[in-house]
Amino acid sequence: MFEARLSQGALLKKLLEAIKELVTDANFDCNETGIALQAMDNSHVALVSLLLRSEGFHPYRCDRGFSLGVNLNSLSKILKCAGNDDIITLKADDNSADSLSLCFESPSNERVSEYELKLMDIDQEHLSIPETDYEATIVMSSVEFQRICRDLMVISESVSIDVAKDAIVFSAEGEMGTGSVKLKQNPSVDKPEEQVTIELNSSVSLQFSLKYLMNFTKGTPLSDQVMLGLSENMPLLVEYKMDDAGYIRFYLAPKVGEE
Amino acid sequence: MGIKGLTKVIGDRCPNAIKSNEIKNYFGRKVAIDASMSIYQFLIAVRQQDGQQLTTESGETTSHLMGIFYRTIRMVENGIKPCYVFDGKPPKLKSGELAKRLERRKEASKSLEEAEELGETVDIDKFSRRTVKVTSEHNDECKKLLSLMGIPYVEAPCEAEAQCAALARDKKVYAAASEDMDTLTFSTPVLLRHLTFSEARKLPIGEIHLNKVLEGLNFTMEQFVDLCILLGCDYCDSIKGIGPQRAVELIDKHKSLEEIIRTLDPKKYPIPDDWMYNEARQLFLNPEVLDPKDIDIKWKDPDVEEIVKYLVHEKGFSEDRVRKGVDKLAKHLKTATQGRLDSFFTTLPSSPKAPSKPSKRKVII
Repeated sequence: MFEARLSQGALLKKLLEAIKELVTDANFDCNETGIALQAMDNSHVALVSLLLRSEGFHPYRCDRGFSLGVNLNSLSKILKCAGNDDIITLKADDNSADSLSLCFESPSNERVSEYELKLMDIDQEHLSIPETDYEATIVMSSVEFQRICRDLMVISESVSIDVAKDAIVFSAEGEMGTGSVKLKQNPSVDKPEEQVTIELNSSVSLQFSLKYLMNFTKGTPLSDQVMLGLSENMPLLVEYKMDDAGYIRFYLAPKVGEE
Repeated sequence: MGIKGLTKVIGDRCPNAIKSNEIKNYFGRKVAIDASMSIYQFLIAVRQQDGQQLTTESGETTSHLMGIFYRTIRMVENGIKPCYVFDGKPPKLKSGELAKRLERRKEASKSLEEAEELGETVDIDKFSRRTVKVTSEHNDECKKLLSLMGIPYVEAPCEAEAQCAALARDKKVYAAASEDMDTLTFSTPVLLRHLTFSEARKLPIGEIHLNKVLEGLNFTMEQFVDLCILLGCDYCDSIKGIGPQRAVELIDKHKSLEEIIRTLDPKKYPIPDDWMYNEARQLFLNPEVLDPKDIDIKWKDPDVEEIVKYLVHEKGFSEDRVRKGVDKLAKHLKTATQGRLDSFFTTLPSSPKAPSKPSKRKVII
């Protein structure tokens, strides 16, 4: 028996919005510690990895590990039928689940709606992601990051990210001209939305596709802050933490010049 | 050409070994292309509306150059890095097959003459396509064009498919691209089909993984080669009366050709005289190829003026279109290409799922 009750249903709605553009079908792997998902986009450029810890649900029950193969677009459509304040309960028979049942309860408990989503068998490649100590780790406002990506998209479809000791520079070069945004290290505690912290072992400079970054910033509603991890010649990590409930991590392969 | 009915065997027995993908999902991939096969296709397929080959004013064929030029650009535009491999001398074992092909071409040219006399346009078209042969001039012209375009090519000592497979096995390229299924028998880890087809045909790229084929059939590589010989290859005869279904069953039961010959009823299934199966098997398992380690594959900038001189002034191509094509080539060879995640993270064996139980779920591959 699998059952997970989420008092903040909006969280699940936001999560689906964040990943459904990137992947169409994916397995939610459930076990006693929580619900995890890992999926690559079609062209194998980006990967999303998310975790919802069992502590985030009240109650959470999963007797044995199994996976829920879901069409994310369909799931997102069903979740749109849930109110933002609704309590969402997920249920499935972990022995031979062929559907996932979703129950939405309004806070006042006066309206209860129930949906069933048909499941699929998805044969997916899993990648092993090594734990990496990034050469540069940046924590900044998620809204600011979204804005930078949107702004530089005007100039080009790719962005260079350069991190030096006390600043991070996003720059783009296109046919109509160039543009860049520089953020200085700013540990201001009273205005968290302006806070920028940089942890650096060595300076890095990498180039990424803005189209994919824009896609990642759909995770902005999940967290006020975003963490970027960069190392030369390694995929970029973009992480949105959902307090104690879990995280969503996006990985993006860098653009490479001639070898 | 290739292995008879292998596509169907794979499709029936191990459908998950075949994936189809759009060409744009192959960006950043290096691919070895069987040039002789592609040129042959271009000579057949790249034609004018009346079915005649494209020619210069003086009547020299240019279909192959047209094909190489535009299809290569299409690949490069999609971020693929192509490397062509040309055939060397044919292996001795192929002489039988080649003689048969020559015979067929002769027949076709006879029919073609008849059709021309009678003025049957449909037949003329049909038979003229059957008389097509790739000559060494065609090959040399393509090599010249490729070097001007900055696209690398390799001259195989023997069969091009075998060399493509060797390059892919050595990770010099991601995959071998050919329509010839025996590229798999030469043990390429990945085979791409339809890569050099026209965009207008809108065929997705077929990707076949050898390890999944072996897994699906539950065969070793040696058994797979034996299966291919039994199905019918270019290098020796096969046993009459044994179709794909029987062939798979026989290998499954007896494990090797020797054992099959020992147990098969010679009255029902006569073994061909002087059956060279062991030679064919050796040819597949240890083909004559250049050591991939000694091959340096490099992509260079195209030489615009030389290409224009060659294609426009010598071969009568439209200058406008050639220049536009070369521009695309130069632009895409230069820009930083998008990396792929699977080159950074290692793929784990597909989902460690519990033994498959009957499931009511819809299957997505």
